[in-house]
Order: sequence, then C-alpha cells, then structure tokens
Amino acid sequence: MDTKQEVILSVRDLEVKFNLRGKVLHAIRGVSLDLYKGESLAIVGESGSGKSVFVKTFMGLLDSNGYVSGGSIEYDGKNLAQYTQDKQWRNIRGGQIAMVLQDPMTSLNPLKTVGKQICEALKLHRNMPKKQMKDAAIEILRDVGIPEPEKRFSQYPHEFSGGMRQRVVIAIAVACNPKILICDEPTTALDVTIQAQILHLLKELKEKYDLTTIYITHDLGVVANVADRIAVMYAGDIVEIGTCEEVFYNPQHPYTWALLSSLPQLGVKGQELFSIKGTPPNLFYHVEGDAFAPRNPQALNIDFKERPPYFEVSPTHKARTWLLDPRAPKVEPPESIRNIRNLKPLLNPDFVKTAAGGASDE
Amino acid sequence: MLKYIAKRLLRSLVTLAIVITIIFSLLRLMPIEGYFPNYDKLSPGQIQASLTSMGLLDPLPVQLWNFISGVFQGDLGTSLVYRVNVPITQIIAEKAPVSIELGLLSVGLSLLVGIPLGVGMALASLARQKKGVPALVKRTPLRRCMDAVGMFFATIWEKIGTIFIVVIQAVPSAVYYLFIQLYGTDLFGIPTLFNKNNYATWILPVVSLALGNIAYYAMWLRRYMTDEINKDYVQLAKAKGVSSSGIMFRHVFRNAFVPMIQYLPGSILFTVMGSIYVESLYSIPGMGGLLVNVIQRQDNTMVQALVLIYSVISIVALILGDILMSIADPRIKLGKKEEAR
Repeated sequence: MDTKQEVILSVRDLEVKFNLRGKVLHAIRGVSLDLYKGESLAIVGESGSGKSVFVKTFMGLLDSNGYVSGGSIEYDGKNLAQYTQDKQWRNIRGGQIAMVLQDPMTSLNPLKTVGKQICEALKLHRNMPKKQMKDAAIEILRDVGIPEPEKRFSQYPHEFSGGMRQRVVIAIAVACNPKILICDEPTTALDVTIQAQILHLLKELKEKYDLTTIYITHDLGVVANVADRIAVMYAGDIVEIGTCEEVFYNPQHPYTWALLSSLPQLGVKGQELFSIKGTPPNLFYHVEGDAFAPRNPQALNIDFKERPPYFEVSPTHKARTWLLDPRAPKVEPPESIRNIRNLKPLLNPDFVKTAAGGASDE
Repeated sequence: MLKYIAKRLLRSLVTLAIVITIIFSLLRLMPIEGYFPNYDKLSPGQIQASLTSMGLLDPLPVQLWNFISGVFQGDLGTSLVYRVNVPITQIIAEKAPVSIELGLLSVGLSLLVGIPLGVGMALASLARQKKGVPALVKRTPLRRCMDAVGMFFATIWEKIGTIFIVVIQAVPSAVYYLFIQLYGTDLFGIPTLFNKNNYATWILPVVSLALGNIAYYAMWLRRYMTDEINKDYVQLAKAKGVSSSGIMFRHVFRNAFVPMIQYLPGSILFTVMGSIYVESLYSIPGMGGLLVNVIQRQDNTMVQALVLIYSVISIVALILGDILMSIADPRIKLGKKEEAR
C-alpha cells in the first residue's frame, strides 16, 4: 500500500449520535480515517459496532433521529458533515458516492421494472437522451453479468433470483458513475456460491469503472479476498487499521485477536470454537477507558481508566491499545492466531470460491 | 389474465345461482299474505285463483326456473305491495340515479380530502421523528422560524387527522349524521329536505356520506405510507440521489396506494348504492331505504330482486378489486394463484 496516494475522502474525529426514546446513543465516538483513491478498504466488526452508521454519514443516509454531532468529512474540498439539506446531498448521493445494500430481496422497488430503476439513476446523474438511456442501461446490465439484458430490462425484480437482484443493485450503483462505492455487507444475504461471484464482479467493476471501494462486513473471508486495507471497528471506534497482511499476520489490538480467533477455520476438531465472552458496551452511557477492556481477560488496569491513543506499528499500521505503550507488559497474542499463516486458503484469492469463509459474529 | 377473468366470471355465476336459490327458497317460506295488498278482504277462492295466476302454485323448481329465466331476460317481476303491479326494473330505474349521483360526488370528495389527509399525516409523522435532533450548522433566524412553523403545522395536521379518524371510526355514523343535519341546516340555513334542483341541499348528504370514506382512506394511506417509507428500496432510491419529493411520490405513494386499490371498487360501489340512514334523514328518493321498506311491507318479489342486485354488486366489486390489484402490482399473477383462492 502506497501511503503517498491521493486522499479522496478524509474523516476527522467524527461523532454520531442518535436520539432514542429520550436518551442519546453515542454511536460513533471520534473516528478518523483517510480513504485513498483507488484502494479497497474493508471495515470489519461485530453487529452494532457502528460500521454501517459510519459509512452512512458519508451519504447523509442516517435515520432521521441520527445526526453528526462533531468532526468533519472532507470530500472534494467540501465538508459533508455540515450538509443539512436534501439539495446539497443529492449530488453526492449516487453521483459521487454510491451504495450497495445488504439485502437484494428488499432493496429494489417491487413495482418498477429493473430497467426503469436503472434509468432513474442514469437520468439523475448522466445527461443523455431517453433513447440512449435504455441502451446504456442494457450495457450496464451486461457489465454486471446479467444474461439476456434486453429481455431482463423490462422485467420486475421478483422475476430475478437473489444473486441476480444483487447484480441489479450493483448495476444501479455503477450507473450513477460514482467515485466511491460503498458495499454494505454485499454478500451476507446470499448463499456461498453466489457470494464468490458477486465479490468477483465487484472487483472487476472496481477496475473497469475506476472505483474506490469500501466494504462493510463481519465476514473475514470476504475481507481477505477483496481488501487492501482493513479497519477493525469496535463500539463506535476504529481500534486497529492496517494493510490486509498486517492485520491478519501481525494483529496488535486484543479485540482483533479475539475476532481472528473466532475464525471457524482456526478451530481444532473436537474442541469448542472460540467465541468472545460478554457483550459490547452500552453506548447510551459514557465509555471509560478502552471499550473492549471488560471483555478482555488480559486487560491492564489502565485499560479501565483511560482511553488509549493510537500507537503506530508501521507507517500503514496503527492500533488503539495500551499494550503498544513501551511501559506495558508483554502480552502475547493467543496461540491459535499465530497459526493463521498456515491457513493458506484464507489469503488465497480463490478462497471464497471453495469454502464458506466467515468469522462468527459473536 | 383473460382466461382467469372468464373463469372467475363463470364461478361467480355459480355463486349467484346459489344465492338466488337460497333467497328464493327462503321467501317461499314466508306467509302468503305478502303477495296481496288486500289479503283480508279476499275470499279463499279469490286467493287460490290469483296464486295460480301468479304461478305460485307451480312446483318449486318450475317457479325457480321461471324466476331465473326472467332475470336473464331483464325481467325482475312486478312489485306486489310497494307499488302494485309496477315492474321492479322501472322502480329501480327511477330511484337509482339519485343515489348514484350522490354516491359518486361523495366518493370524489372523500378521495379529494382523504388522500391529502393521509399523505400529510405520513409526512408529518416523518418530520416529527427529526424533532430534537440538533443541527450542527448555525441556522439563520429566518430559517429557524420557518422550521418551527413547519414543525408546528406538521404536528397540528397529524393531531387533527388522528382525532378526526378516531372520532369517525368510534362514533356510530348515525350520531354524526344527525349532528351534521342539526347544525348544518341551522348554521348555513340549508333546507332540511333534499331537493334535486336545489344544489345547496346536496351539500350535507354528500358530506355525511363522505366522512366515513375520508377517515378510511386517510387511515390506510397513512399506515401503508409509513410502512413503505421504512423499506430498504426507499433507502436505495435515496442513495441513488432521488429527491425527497421524488421518493415520496414516485416510490412511496405509488406503492402505498396499491393495497388500497383492491378495496376501492367495493367502497365506491357500496357508497353509490345509497345509504339507508342519510337518505331517510334528508328524504332523498334513492335506493337507500328501499330494501328495508320492502322487507317491512313483505313485498316478496321486491326483496328478491333487490337482494339479487346487491349480490351482483358485491361479486363485481370483488372481481374488479382483484383485477385492478393485479394490474397495479406485477407480483400478483391471478392466473397462477387462482387455485389457492
């Protein structure tokens, strides 16, 4: 990963809050992130860690009770965190940043033909006459690997299978001609054989349309296959970020260790699979110290008192844990994840084609 | 689709035949006094003679057959008591137009008021969710004022709509019909009695008839729209960059209207058939009171004919509803699912 690359999107100290039944939920707690042009970043973390909320702020798609309460999102010289009106967002949404949602069964309008839904995107972001629009839509359908696109153009979503629908959703996303493509768990709702095809397609399109992609997932198998860099999120914060190799082979944060240990591929036959004990902190309350400390059996005293800063492991790799402080005692990562290197298939590009990759969500 | 409709119509004919037979048989159980306006004054011989001439002493299947074949020739028989010896078709032809005109006006009014009310309520409840979310950017005082006023109207709109719907649904319609008549005629000086040529007298009955439907349309539209707004495809449309109004009208409203379409023909047809209570309140010479009237006076042939008409209308409303629904929603394939229906 070349760090001198151009930064396309820069997030600084982002805070997101939600008003819920009179209480305030602090969903994102001061996250900073630089997204480089042309890279493929994966954001991993368990359910509720805030990974979806984090990327939704880039497009102003937070639920109506959520809001950015601090920090900035720089894109193209503008601060997206200050956008309040629909009018401002409309150019960003689709045209600059597009999104692929998790469940293709529900993310298409059931009463409009697939062609119409793609044309709607084309009309919004590309100036072209009506006649050309249809041809362009058919071309995009062909690009995303839908057979007989001319016929499929005038069919309704219910006439497509799950995998095909996800291809249509992807077609809509690229039809807008975006710079950044956010894939929010693009394969979670699909079965394994289709998963591999969709990931393959996304990689292809990334090259063809010159996209910068962000994957949100809790499936480390997906991550290993598509990502240049990995950001590990926990309780509304990025706890570790680095290149794919660095995070897999040299993880520093205890949460990353725990996450990797729960890879079912690391399980030993006859032994129970590893799972992280406890539950994530309640974000309605202020989190003291390291958010992962209560679930970390090797937590230090300071972990409960003060929030750790980022410690740099390499220019591309940093982690938020006191273990990297020079004064900290030496704590070894668990035995099992040191074997991850032997787990060749995990980092083999063909991995997802052969095995049902995936870390447990727990 | 055509094949389905043909099958559906055939099957409705069977339903209709069963309904006719039941009504016909039940009415044969009625005392024969019903067939004579002046039963007491007749001698047994005269009674026998006229029963024979009416064909009422024929075997039941023959009578049934005569009735059915009459229906298919457009002959519903003649009234016995209500208006002696006048063909029933003629009576209905005189009465129906007023009811139909009143009904169409009231349905028009309820669509005109009910749809905006429902849409407005859905939008207002959406706006209310944003309440209490602080804006990061400093707003100008003017903008603040506008936002506050907007929020105020949204809240008022939703509250008034909710109260209206609850009142209309909870209070028996007879009560508010009476209120409308009492205060309406007083306040606006409108004559109580309906007069076809005085358009002012149309207002109160039309409004009375519309209230129920307004509440009904608004309630369901609000509910279906709130359902649709939270669906994933709305999120995707937003992510595409579709404007809020585009999402509301091209996606949410259109999709929310589909489940309502199925019930529209029914609610329209039944409104058009007239309301017993409203018509009697304003002495409107319509279809509304007719059925009750002829049942009370034991006008057997009239009862028979009217029940037949009502059954036909119910069946037509159901079929129309299903067809409209399948046109509006491509996922519904009538032909394939028909076995399950």
